[in-house]
Amino acid sequence: MKNIFLAEDDADDRMFFEDALKKATIPTKLTLSNNGLELMSNLETLTQHPPPHVIFLDLNMPFKDGFQCLQEIRNTPKLKDIPVVILSTTANDMSVDKTYELGANYYICKPVTFQLLVKAIETVLTLEMRPQPLKEKYVLSIT
Amino acid sequence: MFYQLPDMTENKLPDVIRELAFQNEEKGKRAAELIIVNKELVFQNEEKEKLLAELRIANKELAFQNNEKEKRAGELDIANKELAFQDDEKGKRAEELTIANKELVFQNNEKEKRAAELRIANKELAFQNNEKEKRAGELRIANIELAFQNDEKEKRAEELTIANKELAFQNDEKEKRAAELIIANYARSLIEASLDPLVTISAAGKILDVNEASIKVTGVPREKLIDTDFSNYFTEPTKAQEGYRRVFEKGFVADYPLTIKHKNGNLTDVLYNASVYKDDKGNVLGVFAAARDVTEQKWAKDLRIANKELAFQNEEKEKRAAELIIVNKELESFTYISSHDLQEPLRKIQIFSARLIDGELKNLSDKGKEYVLRMNDAASRMQTLIVDLLTYSRTTSTERKFETTDLNTIIESVKKDFAEIIAEKNAVITADEMCDAHIIHFQFRQLMLNLIGNSLKFSKPRIAPHIVIKSSIVKGSTVNNQHLLPEKDYCHITITDNGIGFEPQYKDHIFELFKRLHDKEKITGTGIGLTIVKRIVENHNGVIVATSELNKGATFDIYIPST
Repeated sequence: MKNIFLAEDDADDRMFFEDALKKATIPTKLTLSNNGLELMSNLETLTQHPPPHVIFLDLNMPFKDGFQCLQEIRNTPKLKDIPVVILSTTANDMSVDKTYELGANYYICKPVTFQLLVKAIETVLTLEMRPQPLKEKYVLSIT
Repeated sequence: MFYQLPDMTENKLPDVIRELAFQNEEKGKRAAELIIVNKELVFQNEEKEKLLAELRIANKELAFQNNEKEKRAGELDIANKELAFQDDEKGKRAEELTIANKELVFQNNEKEKRAAELRIANKELAFQNNEKEKRAGELRIANIELAFQNDEKEKRAEELTIANKELAFQNDEKEKRAAELIIANYARSLIEASLDPLVTISAAGKILDVNEASIKVTGVPREKLIDTDFSNYFTEPTKAQEGYRRVFEKGFVADYPLTIKHKNGNLTDVLYNASVYKDDKGNVLGVFAAARDVTEQKWAKDLRIANKELAFQNEEKEKRAAELIIVNKELESFTYISSHDLQEPLRKIQIFSARLIDGELKNLSDKGKEYVLRMNDAASRMQTLIVDLLTYSRTTSTERKFETTDLNTIIESVKKDFAEIIAEKNAVITADEMCDAHIIHFQFRQLMLNLIGNSLKFSKPRIAPHIVIKSSIVKGSTVNNQHLLPEKDYCHITITDNGIGFEPQYKDHIFELFKRLHDKEKITGTGIGLTIVKRIVENHNGVIVATSELNKGATFDIYIPST
């Protein structure tokens, strides 16, 4: 059972993600956060062991956006080694560069079909998380 | 006491004692002798030691002498060598002396020869001496003659000095006159050289004299100008008359504007500055008038005005350009943001419709099924459209980093993107002799992606697409295109396919935004691809030309500056 976190302010996307997790072949336990602030407080009270396998992070969120969360995670000793995968609607150079600079492990565009979303989650869960700093800063394509 | 002993012993005892006494005596003698011998031996011994000491000294002395002799032998050996060497040297010296001797003998001979010659020369000199004395006699006679002649010449010189003074006086006079002439000439030359038309006018308004500039500005020769009315040569004769009359009245005029008329009709705007001139007694002889051509000043004034106007217009344009840049940026970010925001709900439509299709299709009626499928289809078209619009907005963005890039690497990477469709259509893409190009890498990759993508898309049914890409460096002058600079080097990239092509009249239309030449049902696309291509070529300060005929494939020629 892999512990995973998702920070996503969009209810539809949260629903898609939960459904997709159920379809995925890898068993997981999901901690949902409706925004960045909630994510950080969920991570603050974190006592479980082992630490989360991965945090899926949306960028555009109220109260605390994905960039701020990522920065805080990387600056907090007990969180800094947790892999973070950015899940955003679009991949523009500015966002991609900035998130990799802040220490993201991967960047994924939100898939446009449910099947692709399942596949994306499965791909991330089986990926070997690359050690920081990253050499290849590319947008992970799910086809 | 010794002798009292027998009284106390037997009869025999005295004999023994006697014997013992005797022995004793003997022994005493013997001891005395031994003492003497001993002393003798001691003496001999001492003597021997003395002798030994003497011998040791003698020995040392001998050893010393020996050494000395050896040293002496060494010195003698060295002296010997030295003598041998000196001997050699003397031998050599003797040889040299022999040679020197021979030389001296030879020199001696030579000197004797020379002495003989000198004797002959002496005789010759004696003879010459005699001759010279004879000549001296003759010279003395000649001298007397010359002295007489000299006297004569001195007399003549005195006469010449007088004549000279006379000439010098005449010369001075002539020089004064020449100087006066030079001044007069100089003044005239100045007048003639003046670019301003100069003229003198009589009280009756007749021209008395003119300079070259006056002839030039009127086109009338000097002799035809003189003695004619000054006012004849102006567009406004009365104004000209008024002018010189004022000079006679006031003594001068300043910056009096008139327009001189050339006989060929040309007009020259001038400003007159004139004053009266008088004779020695103060009588007015006429007016001296100088005209300054102000045509250029007028032009300059006009130009200044025009320049100001242009500067103003320029400023306005710059303001406008700055505004446009801001508006453009706003538009870019608007396009970008709106595309991003459009994508968000669209993605959900797609996911929901896809989930309907996956899970709920069986619960729908046939019509319902069709609607859902059509909705899904429309949503995915919109998705492509948004992606294309995003790409287009990226190509208009101001961030442009040029780098020298191997075109092969771009083509190879584009081929990978199309691997699936290339395999499916059995397409062949050949890219030979690709040159390096100075390009914005990500934009040029997009350009190749769109052009190769088009060629693959617009292929003929059941015919494997064949795309040929070539590039070379060409001079602008070798290409028949008015947008290229003749002297500049361009990277010429050609992409040719064997697809369906298009009718020649559409060669410019195809680059327009949202322009489609084909039925949407048959061929998918948003009509943005070639617009992006054209925009990218323009971003590279280049030109793109499309040539085709229907069903005969298409060729795209791209020219971008090579550096």
